[in-house]
This record gives sequence, C-alpha cells and structure tokens, in this order.
Amino acid sequence: MFDIIKQIVEKCRLAIEEATDTSILADIKVRFLGKNGEYTGILRGMKNLSPEERPSFGKFVNEGRAFIEQKIAEKEAQLKAEEQRKKLESETIDVTLDDDSAIGSIHPLTLVKDEIVNIFLGLGFEVKEGPEIETDMFNFQLLNVPKDHPARDMQDTFYLTDNILLRTHTSPMQARVMTTEKPPIRIICPGKVYRSDDDATHSPIFNQVEGLVIDKGVSLSHLKGCLDMFAKAMFGKETKTRFRPSYFPFTEPSVEVDVSCSMCGGKGCKLCKGTGWIEVLGAGVVNPDVLTNCGIDPEEYSGFAFGFGVDRMAMIKYGIPHIRLMYENDVRVLKQYK
Amino acid sequence: MKVPFSWLKDYVDIDVSPEILAEKMVKAGFEVEEIIDLSAACKKIIVAKILSIASHPDADKLIVCQLDCGETYGQKQIVTGAHNVKVGDYVPACMHGAVLPNGKTITKGKLRGVLSEGMMCGGSELDLTSDDYEAAGVDGIFILDDRFAPGTDINVYLQNNDYVLDIGVTANRPDCNSIIGIAREVAAVLNVPFKGLPDVNFTESDDINNFVSVKVEATDLCPRYIAKAVKNIKIARSPEIIRRRLRKVGIRPINNIVDITNYVLIEIGQPMHSFDANKIGGKQIIVRRANDGEKIVTLDEKENLLTQDNLVICDQDKPVALAGVMGGINSGIASDTTDVVFEAACFKRDNVRRTSRKLGIRSDSSARFEKGIDFLSQELAVKRTCQLISEQGIGDIVGGVIDTLGKVENRVLTVSVKKINAILGITIPSEVMVDILARLSLNPILDGDSITLTIPGYREDLVNANDIAEEVIRFYGYDNIESKPLDGLSQTQGKNTFSHETETKIRNLLSGTSEYHECVSYSFISPSFARKMRLPEDDYRNNVIELMNPLGEELSVMRTTLFHSMLNLIAGNNARGNKSSKLYEIGKVYLPHSLPLNELPDEKPVLMLAEFGQDKNFYSIKNAVRAVLEKLNIKADFTPAVKPWLHPGRSAVITIDGEELGYIGEIHPDVQKDYKVELTYVAELWLDVLTKHEKSHLPFVDLPKYPAITRDLAFVTDKQVTAQTLLNEVKRLGGKLLENASIFDVYSGKGIEQGKKSVAIALSFRAKDRTLVDTEVNAVIDKIIAGMQKNLGATLR
Repeated sequence: MFDIIKQIVEKCRLAIEEATDTSILADIKVRFLGKNGEYTGILRGMKNLSPEERPSFGKFVNEGRAFIEQKIAEKEAQLKAEEQRKKLESETIDVTLDDDSAIGSIHPLTLVKDEIVNIFLGLGFEVKEGPEIETDMFNFQLLNVPKDHPARDMQDTFYLTDNILLRTHTSPMQARVMTTEKPPIRIICPGKVYRSDDDATHSPIFNQVEGLVIDKGVSLSHLKGCLDMFAKAMFGKETKTRFRPSYFPFTEPSVEVDVSCSMCGGKGCKLCKGTGWIEVLGAGVVNPDVLTNCGIDPEEYSGFAFGFGVDRMAMIKYGIPHIRLMYENDVRVLKQYK
Repeated sequence: MKVPFSWLKDYVDIDVSPEILAEKMVKAGFEVEEIIDLSAACKKIIVAKILSIASHPDADKLIVCQLDCGETYGQKQIVTGAHNVKVGDYVPACMHGAVLPNGKTITKGKLRGVLSEGMMCGGSELDLTSDDYEAAGVDGIFILDDRFAPGTDINVYLQNNDYVLDIGVTANRPDCNSIIGIAREVAAVLNVPFKGLPDVNFTESDDINNFVSVKVEATDLCPRYIAKAVKNIKIARSPEIIRRRLRKVGIRPINNIVDITNYVLIEIGQPMHSFDANKIGGKQIIVRRANDGEKIVTLDEKENLLTQDNLVICDQDKPVALAGVMGGINSGIASDTTDVVFEAACFKRDNVRRTSRKLGIRSDSSARFEKGIDFLSQELAVKRTCQLISEQGIGDIVGGVIDTLGKVENRVLTVSVKKINAILGITIPSEVMVDILARLSLNPILDGDSITLTIPGYREDLVNANDIAEEVIRFYGYDNIESKPLDGLSQTQGKNTFSHETETKIRNLLSGTSEYHECVSYSFISPSFARKMRLPEDDYRNNVIELMNPLGEELSVMRTTLFHSMLNLIAGNNARGNKSSKLYEIGKVYLPHSLPLNELPDEKPVLMLAEFGQDKNFYSIKNAVRAVLEKLNIKADFTPAVKPWLHPGRSAVITIDGEELGYIGEIHPDVQKDYKVELTYVAELWLDVLTKHEKSHLPFVDLPKYPAITRDLAFVTDKQVTAQTLLNEVKRLGGKLLENASIFDVYSGKGIEQGKKSVAIALSFRAKDRTLVDTEVNAVIDKIIAGMQKNLGATLR
C-alpha cells in the first residue's frame, strides 16, 4: 500500500511539474485529489487495513496529500506569475511616445510681477492698485512736479485732456495712498505705465512696481536694508546692491540702485555691459514737500519710496533680449514661460 | 552737457585722467554718458610743406608733389588732382595708414603709374568747413598757415588733442548746464579750488542811457533784465580758439558777436541776446505780455501769432524778440551793425517752456531757460561778454549798465546735524559734514548741532535738510550707507488685493492643462476697431477716449474692448506660422462717463479668451469658460444671442443671475477676413462681475445614504429648442426627487423628422431619507413626459 501511495504521489508530482498552465493544474488537482480522484481512492482502501496499521497509514496518506497540495500551490504561483508576466509583456507600450496634450503658459511679465509682489508681501507690504488714467495733480503736482517743470521732460507724457493723462509712473499711487491713509504706510503698487517714446529699447507701455514706506524714523539706511533683502530674494543670496546719486522730484536724497550682475556675479559680462552691475530701480527718501503736499507732517513722519520696471526685471531674469518681444505675444515665445 | 576738458581747465586744475574724473563725477551724481577723444578722429595726419611740384608724366590733371613731412616721416611724394597748391604751402597730409574722420584709411599706392605715399586733404575730408577755417572751405587742398613745423600732428593744429565729456545733468541742477557749473562740481569732487572768472578790466566810454532804456512790465515773468551797450562794433570772424571751442560743443561759428553770446551761453549758462541798437524804435525796450493777435517774424523767418501767454521784448511800437526763445528778424545783428545792445535776462522757465512748445520754436536759449536760470548768471554773463569784446578789440564798451533788479542777496539756511544723520540713518561727524559743505562753497558755520549755510544764488535746489543730506552723502559716499532691517518700524500686514487672488486662480486654471497662453497687449488701439467689429451706432464701445498726442493712428484711442487687441495678436501669430493655439488676456478697458473727458473714466478689468485654428470648435472654448465659472463656484446661463462680430448661429451671451457677464462665439466670416484670421472662437467676460459672484467655497454637502434610481429619456423636439431650455424644464418638472439631469446625446438625421432633433437625457432620482421605490419614480417620469409634451412640444422618442 505504501508503495502504491508513493507511486501515485510521484506520478502526481511529475504531472504537476509538466503542467504548462493553470487550467491543466486545476485538472490535475481534480484528477488526484478530487472526490473521485486517484489519491482519494486510496483512502477508501483503508478499510482493508488492521486497526494497528491505520494510524501510521493515515499519517502517511495525509503527508502525501499535503505534499501534493503544496506542489500544486507552488506550481500554481509559478504559473500565475508567468502568465502575468506574459500578459504584461504583451501590453508593453512605447513610453517615449507622447500624447499631444500640453500645458499653457503665464506671461513673463505676470510671473515677474507676482514674484516681486510676493517678496514684498513677506516684508509686510500691502498691494494697492490705482487708475492708469490719472489726473495731472496725482501724477505730477503732488509729487513736486508743477506744470511746466523741467522734470516733466524726464517723462514724455500722453495726454487725454489738459489735466487728464496716462500715468507716466506708478508713483501717483504714493500720493493717492498718502492723501487717504494715515501712517504707518507700507505699500507696493504694481501696474501699467505709459510714456510716449517708441524705439527699439522702449515700449510706450510698460510695467512698474512702486513701493512706499512711511513711518516714524524711516531713513535711507532702511531703504538700503529693504532693497538688499529684495535683491537677494529676487536675484540670489549673493546679490549686492549699490546706490548712486540721482534726482527725482519726489525723493531727496534720490538714488539709482544697481544690483550685482546675476549672470557673471559681478565679474563683468554682456548682460551688465562689462560693469558687473545692472541698474534696476530708482529710489530715495520721500521729499518732505511731498509729505506736506499729501497732508502728512514731515516733522513727525519720514519715509522712503522706490520704483522699478517690471519689463526690465523680466528681461534680466529671463534673458529676453528685446522689450518688444513681451508685447508681440508670439506663441513660441509665450510657451517658454510657465 | 558737452564739456571740453581744455575749457574746463580754465576754471579748475585737473590732475587726473578723463576716465578717473568721469568715475568720480558719477559717484557725485553726474552721469558721464560718453568720453569723446577728439584726437581719435584723425590718425597719422600731419602738417607738411610742399617742396616742389612736377607734372605727372601720364596724366594732365594730376601733379606730383614732394613734401617735407618732418623728422619722423621725412620727405614724401604725393600725387594730387588739386590745383590750388604751390611750392612753400603748408598742407594737411595723410601718411601711409592714416585714418580720416569718416573712418576711411589712406594707404600708399600708384596713381597712373606714379607712387603716391599718402594724400593731401581738403577741409571737408577733415570734417571742417569755412566756419572753422576760411581756407577749409575752398575747393581743393586746405592750405594751412605756417605756425606749426612740418611733421606736427594735425590734431595739434586743430586743437583736437582734447577730450569732451558728455555729462548728464539732472533737472535739479540747471546751474551745471554750463562750463563754470561743472567746474565748480569738479573742484568739489577733486577737493581743489574753483578758479572763478578772471578779473575783468576794460575801459568804458559814453553812457548807456544814450542808447536804450528798459521797462519791465511783466516783472512776474521777467524778474531781472540787464542791458549793456557796445558801440563801434566791427563784425568779423571770431578768433580761432572761440571757433574751435564752439565746434567742440556742437555749435556752428557765425560771427564774432553771435559767437560771443553763444560762448557765454555755454560757459556761464546764461542765454544772451544781441539787438542792433539802431533798430530799436524809440531806443526803448519794453518787456511785456504780447497782445492777443500780435505778430512777430522770428530769425527762422517764421511768422508767429501771439497771445497774452507769450512774453515779448518790444521797442516803442512792436515786438522785437520772443523773450528767451528767439529774436525778431527786424532787430537782429547784420554785417552793417555798428552798435549793439546785449540782453542778459532771467525769464521764468515755465513761460519760456510754454511759448516754445506752443509756437513750436526750440533754440539753445529756450532749452536753457526751460531748465531754469538763476539770478546771478546775468551779471556774470554781461561781464564776460564785455571782457571778450575788449580782448578781441572789436568794439567800445559803453559806460553804465541797466539792471532792473540790482544786488542779489544770498540765502541763509540752518540745518541740524542730528536731522541729517536721521535722514541718512548713519552717523557722520559734524566736522566731516562741514568739510564737505565748505568744498561746495556753502560757507558752513557749525554751532553745536546746527550748521548755518550761505546758499549761493546758483543753488536754488537747496532748500531743506533733505537737500543738504543729499549734498553730504554724495560726497561722503553712498557706499557708507548701512543696511538696516525694517524691524524697528511699526508692524504691518502684507496682503494682496482680492481681485488679484481671483485673477491668479483664473491664470493657474487656464495656463495649466487648459493649454491657454497668457498675452499682454497695448491699452490703446486703432479707432478702426469699431468698423471692423461692425459695432452698431449706439454700442457703448464706440465711446472711446482719444489721446491728444498719440504715437500714430494705430495707437490713438483707449480700448473699450479686448476683442480688437486679441484678433490682432492672432493675426500676428498666423503671419508667423502659428496656426493654432489658445490665448487669453486679463486687461482693462476704459469707459468714459462722458466725452470729452471731465473726470476719470471707469477702468474695468476684462478676461478675453480666444481659440484659433481649424481644429477648434465652440464647445472647447465653452469648456474653458465653464471651467473658470466652476473654479469660482459660479452658475451662469448661456443664451443664444446675435453680436455683429460673431457667427449669428454660434454665439451666446453669458449671464449670472440675470447680470451680463459677457459673450462667447465664433468670429463672423466677414470679420475673419477683415482681421486676416481663420476659424476663431472668442469669449470676453467682465472680470469684476466674476469677482462679484465668486464664492470661495460652497456649503458642505453630505454623501447620500440611500441609493439612486437612474432612467434615460429621449425626447424629439424642434431644433431651435436649446439644451438649456430642455434641462431647465425637466428639472422643474422633476421636483425634489430629481437629483440630477444631463444630456448625453443629441441626434438629428435618419429616423428623425426634418427640423427636429432627438435629445437623450440621463435622470437620476434619490431621496434623502429613504430608498426610493419604482412606483414613486414612475410617477415623476410620467409627469416629466406629460409636461415636456405640453410645455415644449417635446415627444418621447
């Protein structure tokens, strides 16, 4: 009997080994271990054994059965893995192919404006926006530029009427806020501005960001601190700033601010025309006359203001060679900025 | 301001190179735009003496000259076609490798077989005219005088071993639009003395009152008027040094009197005018506002019609000059002039500016007056003029001067050291401040915390502590400003505008996987937009604000729609081969309350979307609009509408609770043609309406507890009945149990009657508090079917 069992187990093992798919294996399972299976039939032979033989025989049979079951399970796992492998292999695609979907783009001027604004939000500045069509009063007179003042030549102006114009800078927002709000004032004003020059390096429309801080005890050193912080955030940690004396009617002292060239790190390159510095903005201590014009006591409060060109910033940041490219809106250019 | 280095040296000793001076001037606030090396124009051109002249063996028109070219070059043979030379003449000669002002290089070569080792130059080849040297104007070779030995560099002869600094002068420093003004700054920058004007000694005779009297009626526009007379004038050419200096600053020499006034203008910064004394009617000068309708013919031979806004210089019966702008042709200097009255006046800059702009006359004088002239310059200018006339011996200075102001007092300004340091945010010792202010000739007197300054007349820009702080720091050095954090100041909250947040949401959505590209275009457009869009006459978009001084017709009105800008961008892209894309712009339109403009207009932000290319369709752009609406939690209705610029069957207005948000549609084929675009879809939405209806989030809706029952119904209706109408009716009829209804198929064609369509709607029913049973749903379905039939004539398919 034991030999027969051994033979059946061996026969079964061979069959399992030869099985090539899970359905054959299922058949084998039925053939040997099913209700009427070969191996199951052996148990029926047990009734012919003596009571003494039965336990050891039973144990032997069970071991054989467990062995077969284990072999089937192993084989099944092996076959399933193989079948899945084949299935997956048959499903192989060319992953280097592309569907034609793409993403859109955000205009470089928006990207840079948002980046600038976000830096100043972190420094506690509030964004204020104002009209592009302005009165002569806010654009010039309150900012210390009376009618027919020579400083008007600095900004060629588009007029709509004798007293209404397209703002030539975002600075009128200084006056708008100072005449309506009490210090402390810490604002940033992005927006479009207009000047009637139109050549290869100028666009009659461009974008500025104006900043204004009015508080007790504000000095030129605070301006330097604020712009240092901005320059590092905008152009990299190693960036330095440099002040050069300049003139704006609404600030005194007035400065032009250069940042060390982000391209060459100050060694001199094409971008900075070999100087190592790039002029990025104009700034200064708010002229006390402007404070007085706007109803703020210059004995109690002082402040600083700055303004820079977003277009220029974008050109520096992205290496855009001509300002005109920003307004041509060629899709091939637009696509480059996300 | 063009400043010849040599001229500057008359007033200040300079021991540094032009480059180093330029660097120092930049640090003091004077941008040096260019350093021009005048000697660079002529290279290897020398003075040569003609030793002999022979005829050319093979050419009748050429001659062969032997020239003494000095020690370095020796004797050279030069062939020329000019015939105004003779043996013994001194001429400018190009040696082999010479460079002319026009950039041309001269090399030796053979002329009709005879060696020519260089070239003799005519005046024009050296960029000279008879204004510079009489002999430079003749046809042929420029014959030099014999002051310089053969071999001398021509730059020495022409006084061109010199540099010209082109200095940018800011509007607050009109005093520096002069050689002496710059010289004062250079002296302060180099910390050396400013030499001042030389002492002037000249003899006077006669009395000015015999020549002219002056009456200023408009003292508000002319606070000072000085008149000085010179008689027995001999009009001639100016001395070489005057002519050369004028040329270096870009002024054409004319005659000695005109040249002197121009010379003084550049040197002192004071525009002068010279009248022929015998042409001043009644020997009277009256400075007054012009009468309306009065006329004057100016030196440019232009007749000008004047008004009360124009200041004029008149004799007893007529205007003889436009004050500060240009003289009249009736009173100018001529070759027969013998007696001259010089005018040195202070005219108000704004009036000169207005007159100059209004009449369209610009002159060196008006340019200078517009920037502002101080009260001191007139006196200096008259002195300098007399000195130059006396030096040249070209006239007799008449005794006495008419001056309507008399002596000018210096202002006194007291500032606090502490205040200056507070403005700068650093601590500069008071002695250092005093030293700097002394260099600027402000005569500082320190007393404790206060510094008392005497402000010279030419520094009208110095009025308060901030001005003095700037003077101190530009010499102390901006590099010494420390960087202070804002920490010590009041706490403020950083925040953006609400509309910016909405815009950012829209941008991120459209520029994300919606594949839209953001554009930025000009705010002013061509007025042709109205015609191209076929706007009806009463359309609000016709009310455009016009620019008074546009760059051109194409950019002459403020836009009232973004449509025109967008279509032009698409046309531009088409022309560059970008045939298919999606674009959007967030920009403003400018809507006046009334025209002409008498108050600020509305500036309304607009969201403009466009999709162009043969692969685009209406529903794609509608999806983009719907995505924006959904992002902002807004429900809107699309209703068919006719806009003249859109396809009448493929356009709609979009409304939110009855408020118009904008329009959407396909561009009308005629409009396509006008803009040179192909198939294009657009939508233009009011951004402020979006912001108004935007909800940051909707109330939380719990997940359903009970199952839904779904049914599909197909209705046959007239083609004109919109999907929206059908759905709205189904939803109304479905009542509370109808959870959702959506169209999943629209079909017309075979099996459907002509003019009709079949619309398949998926319905989903659910109750919040129980599981629905079929009979409940069936009752609602019956109601829907009956209602659709009755209300819309829609039959169940």
